[in-house]
Amino acid sequence: MKNNLKLAWRNLWRNRRRTLIAMSSVIFSVILASWMRSMQEGSYESMINNTVKYYSGYLQVQDTAYWDERTLENSMEVSPELKQQIEQIKKVTLVSHRLESFALAANQQQSKPAMVLGIEPKAEDQITAISKKIKYGAFIEANDNGVVLGQGLADFLNLSVGDTLVMIGQGYHGISANGLFPVKGIMEHPNQEFNKRLVYMEIENAREFYSAYNLSTALVIMTDDHYKVDKLKTDIKKMLPPGKEVLTWIEMQPELEQIIRSDRMGGFIMLGILYLVIAFGIFSVVMMMTKERQREFGVIHAVGMKKRKMSVVVVIETLFIGLIGCTVGLVISYLFCLWFYHNPIPLTGETANVTAQYGMEPYMFFSLTPSLFYNQMILVFLISIFIAIFPVYTIYRLKIIRALRA
Amino acid sequence: MKIIEIKNLKKTYEDNSIAVHAVNGVDLSIGEGEFTAIVGPSGSGKTTLMNIIGGLDEATEGSVIIDGINTLELSTRKLTDFRMYNIGFVFQAYNLIPVLTAKENVEFIMQLQGIKKAQREERATELLRAVGLGELMDRKPSKLSGGQQQRVAVARALASKPKFVLADEPTANLDSKSTENLLGIMEQLNEEEKITFIFSTHDQRVVKKARRVITLEDGKIISDKRKNSNNTD
Repeated sequence: MKNNLKLAWRNLWRNRRRTLIAMSSVIFSVILASWMRSMQEGSYESMINNTVKYYSGYLQVQDTAYWDERTLENSMEVSPELKQQIEQIKKVTLVSHRLESFALAANQQQSKPAMVLGIEPKAEDQITAISKKIKYGAFIEANDNGVVLGQGLADFLNLSVGDTLVMIGQGYHGISANGLFPVKGIMEHPNQEFNKRLVYMEIENAREFYSAYNLSTALVIMTDDHYKVDKLKTDIKKMLPPGKEVLTWIEMQPELEQIIRSDRMGGFIMLGILYLVIAFGIFSVVMMMTKERQREFGVIHAVGMKKRKMSVVVVIETLFIGLIGCTVGLVISYLFCLWFYHNPIPLTGETANVTAQYGMEPYMFFSLTPSLFYNQMILVFLISIFIAIFPVYTIYRLKIIRALRA
Repeated sequence: MKIIEIKNLKKTYEDNSIAVHAVNGVDLSIGEGEFTAIVGPSGSGKTTLMNIIGGLDEATEGSVIIDGINTLELSTRKLTDFRMYNIGFVFQAYNLIPVLTAKENVEFIMQLQGIKKAQREERATELLRAVGLGELMDRKPSKLSGGQQQRVAVARALASKPKFVLADEPTANLDSKSTENLLGIMEQLNEEEKITFIFSTHDQRVVKKARRVITLEDGKIISDKRKNSNNTD
């Protein structure tokens, strides 16, 4: 094998310039493919973050009736033991209660329907990092009776930190819910819709307001590995008493999943075209290397080298081109994407506005998920193996006499 | 002792629907230690005959018995092994492996045979010294002259200790001095080590050195002369 490797390596460099061009085409393609995929997945992660991290979480435990009819009547009581059990599952990073409902938010002159989110401030901040979005004032704390408003809502109601927000709504079992709440902070929520409607309130305060004592509309669950949500769902499902269900973010946001899936397919088509170009690039070099060595193949077969062994050498040559190109391409593309991961490309003009309207941050984000990079390497490796069929086929069809005359 | 015995050998192929008899009923025996030249005009069938003897081409009819084995009945795989262990080849265009040094080219067949590195190196060095290239063994073919490359080819042909060496027009691309040098080396190897050489050639210098000259015409042997006895087999 050592001799085969040596022979293949030397054969590779008999036309240095051509080999370097072939390797460069692989390197460039891996960089381009990785960069494309990193940008694509980065934007999906950003979309998921916007919906999952700023709102739904990766999983939610709810009353079985809640998802179809999201009212306080379908809220639930969660035992501390259940919460603790879920917290102990591997890959679960956080579990937090939420009480979500609606109310009419008002000042002295005008009112607007608002989405009220009763939260555990510390846990919620770990999920959404919302305290960092506070523009004026401060974020709420445990047992706080203040509220945090989205800036759009605050502007509409002309409220500032320290002012009083009036809220009127319907509580649990139709009980009237009215209250005055000091504005503790005003946030600039990245999701424009939330920015115009959201009111954060400490959960006990919300339960008091809605007379929904000990109740939650959802138990929000976070994980550090969103590819494992289905497995987590199965694990959590086993722990739930009757009347409760667990939903993944995909079930809660099916449109988002569909958008990502269709966009990803589009990306794969582009990637397919790119790989076709790579394949033809490598193939042309391998074809030249094979054709120009017909006589040599004839000679080495004549003197006793078996076709199988000759095939091994040419396959190694092809793999060398693919593997060296892939490895160098992988290192460069990772460094390239690492830089963009830490320095996302800001969007400007109309694109930035449209992105913001969809509740996303106006940046082009990049992903560093390892599979995005090593998958390109595996693919090019497989392409190389596929291309190696050509010289192997040529060798197996070799007629010594014809080859010696070549 | 006969090492090659050819009986009623025929090779027919079609050229524009016309049957061409490249080799047409050749009977021939070659003994150990012979220094034989096969001559004849272009198209007489000498290269085809050499290729069939070397197991590089197939025959239409007949048999080629080498060391008791009819090579025409061997499978492709067995024939490849047979060539490696029994036949040395010297080609007109040298046909060395360009990416290997002279020494590595000579070692190549021994590598295929699975001979250990130390043994390979020793034999390659010995052979290259014997063909007068002891000082140039680390050079690649591109850094050697045509004559030097052909001497490496001779060393390579002898590396596996073959029963005989087939040399197809070995001097066709060489100048007079290189030809003289190469023939001298082959003659010396033949005389001292009893290596059997079979040449196909147009070159009168080779014919002069040969001790047996077989003339082919239209695929048939028309004369077979041994110089020492001047008789025809």
